[in-house]
Parts: sequence; structure tokens; C-alpha cells
Amino acid sequence: MRKQVLSGLLGVLAAFVIGALVLLFQGFNPVTTYGALLQYSLFSASGFAATVTRAVPLILTGLSASIAFASGPVNLGQPGQLIMGALGVALVGLFVRLPPVFLIPLCILASLLGGALWSGLAALLKRAFAMDEFIVTLMLNFIADYFALWVITYPLFDPSALSPMTRRISTAAWLPDLGGVNTSVLFMVFAAVVCWLIMSRGRSGYEWRMTGQNSLFARIGGCKVDANYVRVMLVTGALAGLAGGLMVMGGPHRFVKGLGANYAWDGIMIAVVAGSGVSGTFLYGLLFSALQQGAIGMELVTAVPSEFIDVLQAVIVLVVVAGRVSLNMVFDWLATRQKLKESAE
Amino acid sequence: MARDVLIDLRHITKVFPPDTVALSDVSVSFESGEIHALVGENGAGKSTLMKVLYGLERRDAGDIFFRGAKVEFRTPREAISAGIGMVHQEMLLIPEYTVWQNIVLGAEPVRAFGAIDVHRAREAVRQKIEEFQFNLEPDTLVGDISVAARQKVEILKLLYRNVSVLVLDEPTAVLTPQEIPQLFSELERLRDKGHTIIFISHRLDEVLTLSDRVTVMRRGKVVGTSAASDLTKEDLARQMVGREVLFTSQRQPQEPGEMVFRAQGLNCSDTEHRARLHDATIDVRAGEIVGVAGVEGNGQFELVNAIMGLAPMTSGALEVNGKDITRADILARRALISFVSQDRGKMGASINASILEDAVMTHHILDPGFSTWRGLGLNYRRAVVFTEQIRTQFSVSMSGVRDPFRSLSGGNQQKVILGRELLLETPFVLMDQPTRGLDVGSIEYVHQLLLDLRSKNRAVLLISADLDELFTVADRIVVMCQGDIVADLATDTTSREEVGYYMLGGKEAEHAETGS
Repeated sequence: MRKQVLSGLLGVLAAFVIGALVLLFQGFNPVTTYGALLQYSLFSASGFAATVTRAVPLILTGLSASIAFASGPVNLGQPGQLIMGALGVALVGLFVRLPPVFLIPLCILASLLGGALWSGLAALLKRAFAMDEFIVTLMLNFIADYFALWVITYPLFDPSALSPMTRRISTAAWLPDLGGVNTSVLFMVFAAVVCWLIMSRGRSGYEWRMTGQNSLFARIGGCKVDANYVRVMLVTGALAGLAGGLMVMGGPHRFVKGLGANYAWDGIMIAVVAGSGVSGTFLYGLLFSALQQGAIGMELVTAVPSEFIDVLQAVIVLVVVAGRVSLNMVFDWLATRQKLKESAE
Repeated sequence: MARDVLIDLRHITKVFPPDTVALSDVSVSFESGEIHALVGENGAGKSTLMKVLYGLERRDAGDIFFRGAKVEFRTPREAISAGIGMVHQEMLLIPEYTVWQNIVLGAEPVRAFGAIDVHRAREAVRQKIEEFQFNLEPDTLVGDISVAARQKVEILKLLYRNVSVLVLDEPTAVLTPQEIPQLFSELERLRDKGHTIIFISHRLDEVLTLSDRVTVMRRGKVVGTSAASDLTKEDLARQMVGREVLFTSQRQPQEPGEMVFRAQGLNCSDTEHRARLHDATIDVRAGEIVGVAGVEGNGQFELVNAIMGLAPMTSGALEVNGKDITRADILARRALISFVSQDRGKMGASINASILEDAVMTHHILDPGFSTWRGLGLNYRRAVVFTEQIRTQFSVSMSGVRDPFRSLSGGNQQKVILGRELLLETPFVLMDQPTRGLDVGSIEYVHQLLLDLRSKNRAVLLISADLDELFTVADRIVVMCQGDIVADLATDTTSREEVGYYMLGGKEAEHAETGS
């Protein structure tokens, strides 16, 4: 655990140094660039609020991928599951008339079910036809994408709009802002705490992790690995669905074309950097959100294009993941040296 | 007689991080034209030393001299082309290829355009077989021949590449007692033709029969090298273990009690519908240890899978304490059966998990004391107490219960698994090669544990490839051959030779005797 924190910190630091070298090479001042980045993401009220709100889909899809990877199933369907969750909220928000106390929980439920439906489909195909969820979830992403596009272009098209989108959902389903921060953050934090409890304190989390590490061992130990597989797929699908639902309820209040953007793919990337750990995913989610938010400010203040942040993110992923392995090699090398010295004495 | 030093290993040190010193300042020399045994307990460093020589492991300090010159083999290929070949315990042959195809693979004689010269290759192999009188047919499929014959193919593979030094890693571990003399006479013949043979073993009788000189290793160090003729079995054992070792069984006579485990007419097929287990019937009573002997791959795997419910049976019935578990799921079986698998990393534990996580498996479901929040949570505080209990009761040496399982030595890993399984307090215990890969001290411990279980009236089924182990602890020995149970013998009235005879199915045993 302590090793993980160390390798993470060193990795991020190293990535920033590499980023600074890239900036210098291009003739930019790294100090002002990083200054602007931090100013517009963390050290201003509006920047911080935007960073935290942006972190909602990143962290939720990241948690979805983390829990899946740690438990065995290679669920790469977060983009599709996010869209189906958002679509669920759009449907409920457009056609159900209820006061907020009932409508908001109902919308949350719809988003969870939307995502779980999509990952459940992949789980069903795995159980019935032994189709690998790795490829099925990837393919379902395309289906969800074009299905949603059809829905917002034809049946639910807003005639007053110029591009494909639905009408606005009932205002009773809108999640308000509190001091600039959208309340969807509260749902995200709550979900993250639940995830942590399941994985680190729960019996299911224990069984899931053991199955992910060695499924034969878990099976012989009496764990119901097949049932657990389905549960993991449903839970992780629901998490990605929640990400989509909260985006609709907190943001544009309607399903617009391109809603999911790259959030879910970034979430998968975050899960990889975090080594599929829940708390790691939360922290890296905040970091990546800050970088993406700060990129906007950086572009305003300096001449550095926001694409630089894509480079920086990629460098962080590579350095942290490679660093985990090489840091262990360094520890091994040090231990060997120590032993050689001891035996020479 | 005086021989020249052929291989000289000087001051070799090898560390496996974080803190295992596998070899510590090891110096040994091997002379040309000798059979040199390298003996020691598991983990003493014999295999590691040979892997360092062979280019499979990197050394951290020391030098290697071959024919007087300093050498550095980075891969086995370099070692082979210099003339040093190694036969590993696991054989790496292609069952679908014939004997000669396996032998020439990777060093085929070719004609123009890289086409394999089949005639020349086959002829070369035939010549080698004749030269060394190996009693092999070049055109049989490797999948159809016995383990002993496969081993000969592995040796020929190296001789075909003209090696002058052969390193054999525990070559007799996979053989039956009847097959061993034949291997030995072949090795002696090779020596007489001028080859040098380095022979890794921990079986003392063999070492004394076969070798010219013996080097004993203990805990990564060389204890000494002496001429085999100057040594007794007791000397060797003392050098290996560092103390006196008893060679007699501590098993006290005891009347078995009630029938606990009953397997009746088990039949299993593999995925291609070939029968792998026919009509296996085994009974185990309370306070009885029943051993299952057999060359590996003769249905033991299928027997374990059938008992644990890991693979479906085509027919048969299973019963523990009068309860029918033929169709029970794995969890229901685990309430009645403790199971120690032969492969710690594959079935027995998750090596990347913490010791604690590996220790509470199965208990976390069967023991309600491990659940919190109405079964949703896992009581980690209780898990720590439980792991500490295993630590003290089974004398596991570990620094902390949350350390990774893989940081433990093999013996300690096995103790954690044994602790977990035996604390399930089930009436029936199934052990599949529980001492595989353990050092002599740990093996003694496991054997004592088995005998304790017997005196506590548990029923134990022990599958083992090691006849010495079965003769030490088992009350009865059933022998498996090609999926059949071919004999059920009382340990006190049978002999290793009789068991070995049944392991080979009778027929082949006679062949092996006449062949040598």
C-alpha cells in the first residue's frame, strides 16, 4: 500500500517533469503554464467547482472499470453503459410527472438500471454462449451509441433544436448547484464510499477480488463464481449508467448528441493507472479532472494548446504503470545488494 | 583414478529478492568422465546452481570455468553448443510428434531451400539410439510411450546435439522402482563412453549406488564433496539436514472406526469422451489413512476433480458420513471435506493476495463468526485473530498477516493452507501431494500432522507420487493405473516392489526388468 502511494507520487511527479521538458522544447514557460493549469482547476472557486463536477463521470466510470478488472470480468462497455443510463434518465425525466423527492430517486434508479441492462446483456451472452465479455461489451458500445442517436433524432427529437437532442427533462429531476458545485457530486461520493465498503469490508468484495486473482482457488473455496460474475457485471454496468444519468440531471438536462464524449474511456484509463483500486481510482479521477479542467484556463492564459494535456495524461499513465514494475525492480536490486554485502561479511 | 577438472564453479552467489539467498559463495568442481551427484533438501539450491551454470538464471557473483576457460552462458542454447545439456523434471516434448521428430526438432539436418532431410535425420537418430543402446523405436509417437521412455528421448535429444556433459534434475522422481535400474545402467554406459554426468537428487540410496562423487548442499551452501564409496546413507542424511534423521515410521497400530468416505464406481471422461477414470471404488474409515499410488496422469487428477465436484462424473456415487454428496455443489462438499491441492499457486491459494485473505477462504462462508452486517460484511478483525491462530498452531514463520502470500517460503505457504483446511474440522480430509516441493523438515511436519489426524479419528485420503511417503504414513495403499484401481494393499504386508509392479500395470514391469 505504502509502496503504491510512493510509486504513484513519484510517477506523477516524473510525468510533470517530462511535461515541463516538452514545454521547454517547444519554447513555452513551464512555470506559467503549470501555474495557469492549477489556477483554473484547483486554486479558484469556479475552477475547483468545475473540476469536482467534471470528476463525477470520470470517477464513476473509473470505479466501474476498477471493480470489474479487480474481480475478473473485462468489462470495457462503460461508454455504452453510460449512454444507456443517460437514456434511462431522459425517458423518465421526459414522461414521468412527480415532485422532486420521488422523481430524483426514480431517475437515479433508471440510470442504474439502464447501465445494468447493457452490461447484463453481455453477462447473459457469456453465460449462454460463452461469448467473451471483452469483445461483447466493446461491440455493445457501438450499438448503444447509434441506438441513442436514433432515439434523439427520431422518436424523442426536439423539433425546436438544430441538432439531434431531446427536449428538456422535467425540472423536478434537475440536480441543483450548491455554491457552484453540482449536487451530482454528492451522489458520486456516496457511490464511491459504497464501492469502497463493498470491496474492502464486504464479503462479496472479498470473494470478487479472490475470484479476480485466482478463480479456481475461489471456486474450490466454495465461492459461487458464476453468480458473482453476473453480479459484478450488473454492478459495474450500473455504476457507468449512474455516470450518464447524473450528467443529464446535473448538466444540460437533456440527452444531447455526443453526451458521453470520452469520459468513459478516460475512466477505463484511470482504472488502469490506479491498479484497479477504489481509493486510487478516486484520487486519479480528481487529478485527471483537474488536468482536463485546467487545460481550458491554460489555453486562455498561455499559447499552449489544450492538446498538451492529452500528452501529459498519456505520460502519467505510462510512467505510473511502468513505474510500479520498475520500482519493484529497484527494491529487488537494493535487497540483493544488501544481502550480498551481508554474506560477504 | 585422477581425472581432469571439467567444470569449475567458483564463489557463486545468487539472491532471490527480497531476502532469499539461494546460493551463498558456492564452489564446486566437476571432473570429466564422472557421475557426480548433487544432493540436498528441496530449497538447498541444487537446481538453482545448475540453472546458473546452464544460463537459465543469472548469478549475482562468482565465476564459471569450463575446460579451463572462463565462460558466460546467457541462454541454454549457448550452453548446449558448448557441450552442456540439462534434462529438466518436466519434459518438454511434443506428444503428436514421433521420437525422431522430437529429437531433431530445432536442429534438423536440411537440404536445399531449408527442406528437412527426413532420411538423414531419421538415420542420425537411429545411429544415436544404437550407439547408446537406448531401446527406443524412432517412429513411435511420443504420446504413446511411457514416462521412462520419454526421459530417454530427452537425453537423446541432448546427445544428438553432441553434448559431453549431462545435467539431470531429479531424473528418478517420475520413474517407478522397476524403471530406475535401467536408467542407471544407461547413465553408467554414458560415463564409460567419456560423458560427464551431474545428477541432482535427494534420494540417498540412489545417490550411493550410482555416483562416483557426491556434493551435499544445505541452505544454499556446499557442505562438502566426497567419494561415494566413503559415505553411508546416515552420513549423507546428517550432512543434508544438519541433524540425525529417523528412517522409520512413527505410525502406531490403530483399529480404524466407522466408514467415513465412500466412493463407489466413479466414472469420468475427458473432453474428448475418453474414459479417464473407470469404476473407481475407494473406502476410507475414521482414523485411517488410505494412500493412492500411481504414476502421475493415471486418473488421480480426475479422482480429485470428481470428489471435489470440479468436473462432472458420468456415473458413480460419493458419500461422506452417510450423506450423499454425488450431486452436491462445491460449498456443500467443503462443509464435509478438507482439501489440500497439489498446486499451491493454482488451487490452494491466490499468491498475490495477503496471507489473511488466503487463510479465511471457505471459513468466510461456513463460519458465521466471520460475517458482519447480516452477512454482507467480512469481519476482518476476526480474520486477523484467525490467521494468528494458524500462525501459532501450525508454527508458520511470517512477519505480518497482511503480507503478501507469495512472500512466504514454500513450506510456510503449505502450513497456512494446511491450517486453513484442517481448522475446517471436517470428518474427511483429501490431500493431493501435500509435500510436493517441500524441504525435508516441512515434509516431516506434514507427515506428523497426518498421523495426528489419524489419531483424532479423521479419515484421510492421501494421493502421492512418492512411495516413501505412502509407506511412512498410509495404512492401506490403493494403486491406480490408466484410470483403474488395480490393487488395494495393506501397507504392512506389501513392498515397494509390489506397489511399483501394479503402478506399471504388471506388463510393463516385466519388460523393464528384462530390458535392463
